[in-house]
Amino acid sequence: MSTEEDGLDRRTVLKTGALLGAAAVLTSKKSLVLAQSSPPLAQPVLCGTTAPVSPPTRPFLDALPVPMPALPQILSPLPTKAANTGAGEAARDAHQRWEQFLPLIQYRMVAAPSLHQHHTDLLPSFMWTFNGKYPAPTPLNFYGVPSIVRFVNDLPPTPPNTTFGINEITVHLHNGHTGSESDGFAGDFFPTGFFKDNHYANAYAGIDDFGGIGDAREAMHTFWFHDHRAAFTANNNYLGLNGMYIVYDSKDPGHELATPGSLRLPGYYGVTDIPLILTDKRFCAAANGRNEVFQVVGNGAPGGDKWVVNGKIQPKLTVRRRKYRFRILNTGPAKTWNLSLIRPDGTQAPITIVAVDANFLQSPVTLTNRTLDVFVAMRFDVIIDFAAFPAGTSVYLKENVAQNVGVAVADPAPGLPIGNVLMRFDVVNRESWFPADTPAIPGVLATMPDPIVPDSSFQWNFTLVGGRFLINGLEFDANRVDHVVLKGSSEEWTLANDVAAGNWLHPVHIHFEEGRIMSRRVRVSQNPDVFQDLTLLPEELGRRDVYPLPPQHRVVLRMRFRDFVGRYLIHCHNMNHEDAFMMVRWDIVDSVEELTRKRREIDERRMLAGLPPQYGDKYGSDKGGFV
Amino acid sequence: MATSTNEARARRAIKRRELFSSFAGIGASPAPAQACTGASLIPNVQLRTHEGNEVRFYDDLVKGRQVIINMMYAHCAEFCPAITTRLVEIHQALGSRMGRDLFMYSITLKPHEDDPAALKAFARMHGALLPGWTFLTGDAYDIETLRFALFRHDHIKFDLDPASHTAKLRIINDAINRWVHVPPLASKMTVLQHISWADPPKSFEQQLEDNRKLQLAIDKEHEQYGYRKIV
Repeated sequence: MSTEEDGLDRRTVLKTGALLGAAAVLTSKKSLVLAQSSPPLAQPVLCGTTAPVSPPTRPFLDALPVPMPALPQILSPLPTKAANTGAGEAARDAHQRWEQFLPLIQYRMVAAPSLHQHHTDLLPSFMWTFNGKYPAPTPLNFYGVPSIVRFVNDLPPTPPNTTFGINEITVHLHNGHTGSESDGFAGDFFPTGFFKDNHYANAYAGIDDFGGIGDAREAMHTFWFHDHRAAFTANNNYLGLNGMYIVYDSKDPGHELATPGSLRLPGYYGVTDIPLILTDKRFCAAANGRNEVFQVVGNGAPGGDKWVVNGKIQPKLTVRRRKYRFRILNTGPAKTWNLSLIRPDGTQAPITIVAVDANFLQSPVTLTNRTLDVFVAMRFDVIIDFAAFPAGTSVYLKENVAQNVGVAVADPAPGLPIGNVLMRFDVVNRESWFPADTPAIPGVLATMPDPIVPDSSFQWNFTLVGGRFLINGLEFDANRVDHVVLKGSSEEWTLANDVAAGNWLHPVHIHFEEGRIMSRRVRVSQNPDVFQDLTLLPEELGRRDVYPLPPQHRVVLRMRFRDFVGRYLIHCHNMNHEDAFMMVRWDIVDSVEELTRKRREIDERRMLAGLPPQYGDKYGSDKGGFV
Repeated sequence: MATSTNEARARRAIKRRELFSSFAGIGASPAPAQACTGASLIPNVQLRTHEGNEVRFYDDLVKGRQVIINMMYAHCAEFCPAITTRLVEIHQALGSRMGRDLFMYSITLKPHEDDPAALKAFARMHGALLPGWTFLTGDAYDIETLRFALFRHDHIKFDLDPASHTAKLRIINDAINRWVHVPPLASKMTVLQHISWADPPKSFEQQLEDNRKLQLAIDKEHEQYGYRKIV
């Protein structure tokens, strides 16, 4: 019946060439990459503007799920260096270092509505997830094997869209050392029906200096990807648009065998090496066959009253009497987790931190009498040795703030109310088929890269003025750059939180490369210039990309800007603050000419606003240095 | 045979889709009214315009529309004049859309000082007596309610300080239930961009065309400067 149309199409294709042919397919319905999409789910009916108390959930009914490893595939159409706009790829700069790091592994992550059940006692909830799963499937990668992740936007077109998210996404790999076009810049979001290929070199920082795949001392292992859409990051992440991304190398190879260079930490993904992805949620009462998630995002919003681990409330995990590695990730939007491991007698059991923000510490740090404080976006890789507990016992992961359980349950351990239990570990003897324990955790885990000698310094002031969340006096503007650095240079940055009082802690995240904290100071008197040096915590001595910044604190850090150029971000990773635009764009440039031009523009703009110059006359000499 | 079954299935799928979309779009279903939409979030308070007309804020001014809202007062010397000047520029840039599918509301923070005449004088002084732009005053309690609903931080330090609410433009497209915001003193380009975030949805064809143009603009800048300069 449609032969004639088909014939016309074929003729048109023949006449105008393959590219236009592709466009004809696209315009007829939706993007090529979405040809297979299924009928939409019913939109949620949300339950009001007043925060409900979530329905009761009985503890420890669900087993802890582990996100599936993402399956690599051959993408169609194949990824290209320049944006394949004809096939529906969002506009972007061409991939940097494309020929050097041709993507050998390809993944496809489709953002779309799906239903997710957070607990046996709850009905499913409408969520926005990647590949229909919350948390998203985990890409498992190897250094030296570059990858492409094709993020496809199949969120509902507007209208109707009765959720509180926005159907436009830009996905950031936290904290990937990637070109800006693959970094999920907050202003580079794309709408439903489009896709974008993020190119991850899976190389260490220092490619230019060290050659090959860079400086192995810059190794990072536990990454996560999440939507970064300006002004809607909290909403879209709360709806479920995030997941973990792991990169292995010879030191951390994803197995426990005695291979050269391996630290031999617990390493079988999903078996002895398990992600714990934390978030808080609040649920509406059951209606229409669902328990919809209530909108808790926004400044001062009530937050969740259920603690969710890998998508389940108060799950249980059977563990063998041996060492396990947990990759703890706080996906926000705003809650900080203060965790501890509690024995059945109510005492605290040790947790050993081996990596912070994806970076191995120089030496492991064992916490025995303080909590593990996980600020938004931080990752802590920890080892728990369950051989310390007899078979048949249960140990509990405790969160300092209680959730609403809603059913009366006796305290599982003395001094541990059920609401404070995040999850339960049930200890059993190791079966013969289960991998034997790994050797003791090595005393030295990592060698730090060469000390960073900064070319210049810069200060970022985080303030609140008249209810506005500001960095250096301004709110985020994707079209405005606030600091420019030269590729290959390094700087010492001071992060300053000058909020007068209150609990305005900002977990500051800097994209692109890992930094080293040099010092931390706190203002201690009415005199604004009097500071006291604080001793850094042992877990602050490594490399990291999230810098918790409590009021009156100054954090001095050093970082390098190597290998790639483009627009990057610094922002408070409390996603509510981020969405209120406590975020800045800074650029890495690869010519002194561009550096000079952009710095001059910044100072001219500041002059017009009556502000002192940021660079003075030191625009672009040598490495762009100014002191 | 197989084809007709497939067609029937496709037809059923379309019907199901229509059912879903109409269910979500129309509040008249037996299910509880959709919350988190304008009707439940925006107070329908009675206000008076700078022309002296009585209006209901939600029903008469916001319902089904795309609107730009800011708080101001006539004697505010620090930011309000600069913001109002910026809004005049924005109004010019939006041209014929203003008063047709886009509306601007400037609400006084000091209703006891700013009666309609004072607002009109302020608007005239700033060249803001323009189509689709309404200055509003009313009962102090109502305005406070409105301010909380549109701009609140839920923090005593900010919410009790009226000055903290001059610094944000709230843009709402009630028809698609989208709220965005922008610092009014950001560049004109940025303010317009943020307003467009709440624009009525575009057809996929239009989005493809926009995307193609954006790519051309990016490529042109690379050619011209060697890097992305503006887009």
